[in-house]
Amino acid sequence: MLCKIAWGNVRRAGRDYLVYLLTLTLAVTVFYAFNTISLQVDIAGVTKQNAGMGETLGGIISGLTVFLGFVMGFLMVYANNFIMKRRKKEFGLYQVLGMSRGQVARIMTLETFFVSGAALVLGLILGLALSQVMVFFTASLFKTQIADFHFFFSLGAFMMTVGCLVAIFLVTLVFNLRVVRRARIIDLMRASRQNETIKTRNPWISALVFVVGLAAIIVAYVRLLHDGLPYDGQPEAMNDFLITTVTVVAGTILFFFGLSGFLLKALQGVRGLYWRGLNMVTLRQLAAKVNTVSFSMAVIAMILFLAITSVTTGMSLADTMNNTVERGTPVDYTRCLVYWGPSVVDEMNAEADAQAAASAGAPSDAEAVAQRTQAARYAVADGPVDLMAASAGDTIDAGTPEAHSFDLDSITGDYVQVDGYDSIPRDGERPVVTLKDLCDKVGMDLPSGVDASSVDSLGLIVMTESNYNDYLRFRGMAPVELGEDGYTILSDMGATVNDIYNKVLGEGIELEIGGRTLHPAQDRVPEDASTFQNSMMGMNSGTIVLPDDLVASLDLAPYYSYLMVNYADDISTEEGDAYVQEERTFGDILNDAGESVAGWGVEATRTSTYESVDSMNGLISYLAIYIGFVLVVACAAILTIQQLSGVADAMGNYRILSELGTATNEIAHSVLVQQTIFFLFPLVVGIAHAIVALKGIIELVALFGGMSIGGTVGLTTLIFVVAYGGYFCVTYLMSRGMVHEAARARHAA
Amino acid sequence: MVVQSQNPAAAGAHMKTASASGATGAPVLEVRHIEKVYGARANATHALRDVSFTVEQGDFIGIMGASGSGKSTLLNCISTIDSVTSGNVLVHGVDVTRLKAKKLTRFRREQLGFIFQDSNLLDTLTARENIALPLTISRVPAHDVLIRVEEVARRLGIAEVLEKYPYQLSGGQQQRVAAARALVTDPAIIMADEPTGALDSKNARLLLESLETMNERYRATVLMVTHDSFAASYTHRVLFIRDGRIFTELRRGDASRQAFFERIMEIVAMMGGEGSDAL
Repeated sequence: MLCKIAWGNVRRAGRDYLVYLLTLTLAVTVFYAFNTISLQVDIAGVTKQNAGMGETLGGIISGLTVFLGFVMGFLMVYANNFIMKRRKKEFGLYQVLGMSRGQVARIMTLETFFVSGAALVLGLILGLALSQVMVFFTASLFKTQIADFHFFFSLGAFMMTVGCLVAIFLVTLVFNLRVVRRARIIDLMRASRQNETIKTRNPWISALVFVVGLAAIIVAYVRLLHDGLPYDGQPEAMNDFLITTVTVVAGTILFFFGLSGFLLKALQGVRGLYWRGLNMVTLRQLAAKVNTVSFSMAVIAMILFLAITSVTTGMSLADTMNNTVERGTPVDYTRCLVYWGPSVVDEMNAEADAQAAASAGAPSDAEAVAQRTQAARYAVADGPVDLMAASAGDTIDAGTPEAHSFDLDSITGDYVQVDGYDSIPRDGERPVVTLKDLCDKVGMDLPSGVDASSVDSLGLIVMTESNYNDYLRFRGMAPVELGEDGYTILSDMGATVNDIYNKVLGEGIELEIGGRTLHPAQDRVPEDASTFQNSMMGMNSGTIVLPDDLVASLDLAPYYSYLMVNYADDISTEEGDAYVQEERTFGDILNDAGESVAGWGVEATRTSTYESVDSMNGLISYLAIYIGFVLVVACAAILTIQQLSGVADAMGNYRILSELGTATNEIAHSVLVQQTIFFLFPLVVGIAHAIVALKGIIELVALFGGMSIGGTVGLTTLIFVVAYGGYFCVTYLMSRGMVHEAARARHAA
Repeated sequence: MVVQSQNPAAAGAHMKTASASGATGAPVLEVRHIEKVYGARANATHALRDVSFTVEQGDFIGIMGASGSGKSTLLNCISTIDSVTSGNVLVHGVDVTRLKAKKLTRFRREQLGFIFQDSNLLDTLTARENIALPLTISRVPAHDVLIRVEEVARRLGIAEVLEKYPYQLSGGQQQRVAAARALVTDPAIIMADEPTGALDSKNARLLLESLETMNERYRATVLMVTHDSFAASYTHRVLFIRDGRIFTELRRGDASRQAFFERIMEIVAMMGGEGSDAL
């Protein structure tokens, strides 16, 4: 019997439940489809390239799902509250007719159960379909080929989805039961009448609040644009940033709090507009509603801001990597050696001494030998090491009978070694030239994100002219001619930093190094001839090329060496990649005294760099779309529910308007205006926030190789238009149906 | 044709000139043999059977009947809120049963004023805005709107409460605001459906006196549906409806309100009596 009532209720309250059902279904669909990611990457052939990808993505996505599940859960509670408020009277009636509270609670439980169940079934069917389609999307994101497409079902994703839905169901239930338990019959019966009392706020105060809110937002914008984001985590900057954040949040809330009052006052000022058609009705309806929904509008604006920012940033990062990867992979294989600097050497030696002292007593001869071979002592290298020769120190399959030396030479065609020198002379304190020096000379600010405390000690890497010309010849480019007193600067970091270097070179700034006055030999940074290793993004943040004799006279210690290798003609890329990727241990780099002078750093093949870019791209895009989509849907759903319940509350008013002789489409137009304002304002504020924040973010990202928003905006916009606009259309169409219904209803009936 | 001058678009202006010149002649409202049937054959209900009557300019007419007698259906059919099954309703010679939806809306807006039992004010608007609503919907210039609202509010004694919201007003005030809203457009007919139904006797009397004033001083034509004999005694003429037919009609003539009230009571008692005989 209760079951029958509940089922009847769900069907009757169909419209109220429709949005609830729609949103829950959408959530289930998205949850399931995205949680099949680990299976998808399998089918899309991503795991063949990058074995850990499936697990990594799967892990992140399930973590995100739990978080988004929470967001959805609260959204559902919210949606449900609206339905409950409208039905209080009905529940009161059940109790008047003699049902116990337990029975009423059971009816409600069953109703929630029916709707959630329907959402689960519908959502899973859609999710199953979506996940099959998404495989192709995944493949294109990760730039792989689908080897063997087949229908698949993921038990893990299924469990995850059901788990989330059950959690949402339970939370909703708890809130619903509380409504029934707490309420007295008289309150339930009176609920509809209580809703009619409309609290109005003084429009003057509202308008003032609006202006204050707007001012706060503007102040926060100015602060953010001026200070930028706090990259280095300095307490002062963080503090400033915190104040900015609080200001913008408070400003946003006040803005929406006073919005309707402001609009009302502003339009009342224009008599001809206010006292015309349904304008005053539209404004008063807005004002009446904004009282209850202003806070959620502010929250929605903030959520939309987060969604826009995360999606755009994520996609732009991916874009940036895509654009720089070609320049970033000049050769088949690179490896890098990093020399110990003086401070590292001192530190490590001090540690070794301490250990030696601790073990006390004279070490036996055998121990002494063992310590020496493991290079217990460290030293600053006298000069660069020959990497090709040193590579032979690596052992493939170490510890097995097949152990043999890494014979890089056997697969190498042509190669070049690039050596960079520390810019602080061996006996000096200060770098010969720093980024700050250059900034000061051209009157530019240090790029945001540069650690302010170490600007004085951060020098440019130094390179000899002959070495750089070796590199240029290797790359098939024309050598540079520095002459007696020329210099040039190399960097592949993109906009922010290169702007400074380009200005230095372009303005012909003279540099005083080693007692010589130097002039730029080029007027621009050769960005395409500044990359020394395979990498997703620019890694060379600034290298100054000086005449050989000047470098020699400066007495600089080596800083790093790069080996850039193209495979021999008879070695295919696959063979070469396979050889360098074989499991091996790195050899020690020792000087004549048996002291360690350097350690092996990053090595990368062109293929692996491309693959990791693709994977990274896929990962970031995936997460950005997932988060963005769910957040946007959540916001749109809240707005839809609010608007529909608002229209339902105003049905009486629309009926009166119709009786007074207002054309139905005029009423519908008034509703459209109201809904447009409710949907548009949070979006506009969210976008405005995002633009300002993105400006800060772009500055940060630009430091790592430039960032273009352009291409990604297209996709972001599409996601928005489809999700947000879709909800808006649904809201309006349903509202229009309700208005027509109100117009048809006879006042006597 | 004469109808041309009755073009609803010009009706507002026309009405003013008509009342100013005190023109009689073409009846304001002519109801001709209207029928209203609900439902299909087997369980068809005749809500109205062959109802005909005429209302002249400046009439104050009451329609009385027990609940279920069809009096509200009659009002709804005249006011085009409901459609008739057969028959015609002519307002200033224009057959409103033939009008298309768009023209109907316009007709309602320009020729009719409504007062309901529950005042049916928009709860989000102030009293002033509520009264102004029919004018703004008809795109009357803002300047005229405000002047006309002031004027009608003064006539009904609600000028002081114009800035208040409906929930801040008493029931009587709400009803007078609703009356002001019905009057502000100078409609051809004011339709009042149980206007005193939700009021206490003092407020009911105030409202009825207002309607009487509007009728006598400004020659407004009023059609009032009521089941309250006291309210009906304020009118000039009462139509009694029973089982969807006009049972009888009573004219006040020069009789005092008290005498008219007693005659109404007699008819009501008779109708009730016959009803009980039927049992």
